[in-house]
Amino acid sequence: MRAETLKGHLDGLLLASLEAGPRHGYAIMEALRAGSGGQFDLPTGTIYPALRRLEQAGLIKGTWSQAGGRQRRVYDLTPAGRRTLAAERGTWRQFSAAVTALLEPAPRPVTP
Amino acid sequence: MTGGPTVNAYLSTVAATMPGPPRARRDILAELHSGLLDAVDTHRSAGLTAAAATQAAITEFGDPRQVGDAFRPHLAMIQARRLALTLVATGPPVGLLWTAAALASHIAIGYGPPWQWPGAPPLSPAFFPVVGAALMITVWSALATLAATGRLARWLPASARLAAATAATAGLGAAAADLTIFALLASKLTSGPGTLDPFPIVIAAAASLIRLVMARRAARTCLAIRATLTTQQA
Repeated sequence: MRAETLKGHLDGLLLASLEAGPRHGYAIMEALRAGSGGQFDLPTGTIYPALRRLEQAGLIKGTWSQAGGRQRRVYDLTPAGRRTLAAERGTWRQFSAAVTALLEPAPRPVTP
Repeated sequence: MTGGPTVNAYLSTVAATMPGPPRARRDILAELHSGLLDAVDTHRSAGLTAAAATQAAITEFGDPRQVGDAFRPHLAMIQARRLALTLVATGPPVGLLWTAAALASHIAIGYGPPWQWPGAPPLSPAFFPVVGAALMITVWSALATLAATGRLARWLPASARLAAATAATAGLGAAAADLTIFALLASKLTSGPGTLDPFPIVIAAAASLIRLVMARRAARTCLAIRATLTTQQA
């Protein structure tokens, strides 16, 4: 799936990937790939600027830590990030329900 | 393991497209480095040779120029916030030093309208409105920058370009205030030093000079970073 298609949803997906617990950048990318069945295969380098933007907005918090024999910047959701994720989820449910209702072919009326 | 020259060349290209504060740039490059090594490990686990895994990791990360470009708004925000914080932190001490210098020299304070103190130099009537306006611009621009680059950014339609512009305005405002103070001091020295107390004036002037140089340089950096941002990166 192209990066443009994901535009507007990436922030919510990144927040969702941290819901289960802290992850570093590459692990977040792998979670997006695995969670989407390989559909979301963005250039990995694009994840990092998005993470910094979310951190600047106070939605996630990044800290350097030693993990797996290597220094990694590990991100975790902040309380504001959890609230934003819940709001994004609600908006997405409404939006996707409306789009599905319009895109899916309506069942043909049954004629006697 | 550092990932070798191929990873380093990739990071150098990213670095070359990212202007901004050195510490923030180093932090970003260290994170990308760590991520690239993770990617190399993943490809090696899949059975690739070291060289092939490194190449695959770099391909996976994408065009280094685009990656560097994408960090520019973040770096512009950091540069803008740092300048605004520095101005907010240095403003009151510099103001207090000049107030102490004025009190020690028995000028401007406690003699009715400040521009009519005994021995006021010719520039005195113009000084107070100009300094007042420069300080007002500085304070409001610095506060706007802090709002646009902090937690409030979530609710503000602010952009990195705007934050860089307000920070540069604050920096240039502070520099203008310092220059105006120096102009008044020069005017006083040439028209007759009178009761000027050299010691507190030298201290205040040194503080003002340091801030003037710093604020001007940081404002120019903000404007330079802003010029590299595309309107899409607003």
